[in-house]
Amino acid sequence: MSESNGYAVRTAGVWKIFQQEAEEVQAVRDVSLTIGRGEFTALAGPSGSGKTTLLNLIGGLTRPTRGEIWVAGSELGALSNRELAQLRLEQVGFVFQAYNLLPVLTALENAEFPMLLQGVPAAERSERIRELFDRTGMTGLEDRRPGKLSGGQQQRVAVVRAVASQPALVLADEPTANLDSHASEALLDMMAELNRELGVTFVFATHDGHVMERSRRLVRMVDGAIDSDETRS
Amino acid sequence: MRARPSLHVGVILMLAVRNLRRNLRRTILTATSFVIGGALLTFSQTFDAGTHEQMVDSGVRTGSGHVAVEAPGFRVSRRIEDRLPGSTLQLVRAAVASPPGAERVTDVFYRLTVHGLATSATGARPAQILGVDPTIEAALSPLDEQVVEGRYLEADDRLAAYVGAGLVDALDLRIGSRLVLMAQDTHKEVAGQLVRVVGIFRTGIGELDESVIHVPIATAGEWLGIGDDVTNIGVMVDSSLAVPEIVRHLGRELAEPIARGEAVVMGWQEAMPALYTMIVFDEWVGFLVLGILFVIIGFSIINTVLMSVLHRHREFGVLQALGLTPRQTSSVVLVEGLLQTVVCTFIGVGLGLAVTAALSDGLDISGLYGSMDIGEVEIVGVTVDPVIVPVVNPVRILQILGFMLFVGVVSSLYPALRAGTIDVTESMKFER
Repeated sequence: MSESNGYAVRTAGVWKIFQQEAEEVQAVRDVSLTIGRGEFTALAGPSGSGKTTLLNLIGGLTRPTRGEIWVAGSELGALSNRELAQLRLEQVGFVFQAYNLLPVLTALENAEFPMLLQGVPAAERSERIRELFDRTGMTGLEDRRPGKLSGGQQQRVAVVRAVASQPALVLADEPTANLDSHASEALLDMMAELNRELGVTFVFATHDGHVMERSRRLVRMVDGAIDSDETRS
Repeated sequence: MRARPSLHVGVILMLAVRNLRRNLRRTILTATSFVIGGALLTFSQTFDAGTHEQMVDSGVRTGSGHVAVEAPGFRVSRRIEDRLPGSTLQLVRAAVASPPGAERVTDVFYRLTVHGLATSATGARPAQILGVDPTIEAALSPLDEQVVEGRYLEADDRLAAYVGAGLVDALDLRIGSRLVLMAQDTHKEVAGQLVRVVGIFRTGIGELDESVIHVPIATAGEWLGIGDDVTNIGVMVDSSLAVPEIVRHLGRELAEPIARGEAVVMGWQEAMPALYTMIVFDEWVGFLVLGILFVIIGFSIINTVLMSVLHRHREFGVLQALGLTPRQTSSVVLVEGLLQTVVCTFIGVGLGLAVTAALSDGLDISGLYGSMDIGEVEIVGVTVDPVIVPVVNPVRILQILGFMLFVGVVSSLYPALRAGTIDVTESMKFER
């Protein structure tokens, strides 16, 4: 492990090749990318362009075939599975298209779950969740199980879960894909506010034009490779 | 500096409990099979132990006693040369009066057993002639209760005989008939003794009914010229579980005659090997049948837990994305299985023990005999009362607990390993 050098993520010559029966599929091809702290970046591209795979690689959910990935100063290839799990716990928050809340836990318990794993004291957990639920309009829904929440509400809980543990980076895979335009807009507002006010780094994988418009940096991917990288003011 | 990775035991436990509660119907179904299996296993064991205890009790009363003291060669020779001096009986009586004998020993009996001939006006038949103390024997042996005509021997009887019904038929005897007993005496001469039939018994066991004759031991001693010597001393204890302890105790107390080669001490298992073998065999058959039952239950647990795991791939993927290691993810499933197993094991065994306690007055299984008019059943030469009182053997109960926990752990292990080896990215893919 080394010290962070001002970036949240850096990839260098990353490849991910899957073997599908006799065929070799190059899901990510030679991707070199640096995402600074506090960025609000979208990885865009059509289905199969490799954006979700790149997100999974950055999140340490899968290992690259070749190349190196640094997250918050740690080179993921040098970490054991246990250390990788610990890095995910401490440095990375995930938001998934399918929300992926734990069905046996309430909204509040889901939101505080990573902090529970981190060993954050109950009082501090409670304070952080109260503040985030307040910001995201979830106050009053703390005791509901995921099955009793709408899609937008579940995704808001997922975002709170992702940011509450104060990670260096939040990776969001198609976070608005299952939401209507109103819920989608509200969610983006919320994430933009968290990015602006708390300095949380967000990286989205999306093909939602609205998300692309709201992002301050847009990295387009085609066939597993970076096609363009555009930063907006 | 990053903190040392935590085991997350509390979180794993919480998730396991929540999942068991969430899938209540599945939990109840799996738990029910395990509880019923456990109760069945426990009760069948206590019932078997009760049956065996009764067989042992019946066997030792008519046979050797829980603990037998004999001359070393008697078991093979069955001759009165291989007998115990009267002083050995006094030593045994003194030994059982001291701890642990005083707490566990209920009775001591002694017999003079010889093989000879029983002769009547009609003919002669080989007979097993037992010189007995009528008072002790009446208190201990079930034979006196199996009288079909006349009475059992009494303390002041001298030339009286209590004869098996088969022998009575063969020799055409009746109450009051005279018969002559002939056997080899201490001078290796054939000696005869005239006795009169005072009672006839029928046990239902051909071997006993056709050969056994009880006579007062004083009469037998005089007839064979051996005074107060005996061939068998039997010690009865309050539970067959105490036999090893009493064998060791008597072994210590009779160290001198044993060292001189005058006596041996043995448990009923050695003294009645056919009965012991049958009980061991029966126990193993019981364990085998119930073992198969538990393998089936084990597979049903594997199936249930595995199905649950297959339906929860996404959940396990999320857990790993949020910071649990594959091993910790496996632990969630393993702890679920263990919790269920431990709780159900104790409930099942508890239920089995409760049924055992409820039947502490005995379970009458005579109805199983259908229309047959059978008072008692004969198994390997001993009679078994159809009213079985279940007996709790703590060692066996611990074995059952261990066995059930083992089955539960093994059944949860494979699904748990599966949960830890999922492909995280595949498991969380969005499905429309």
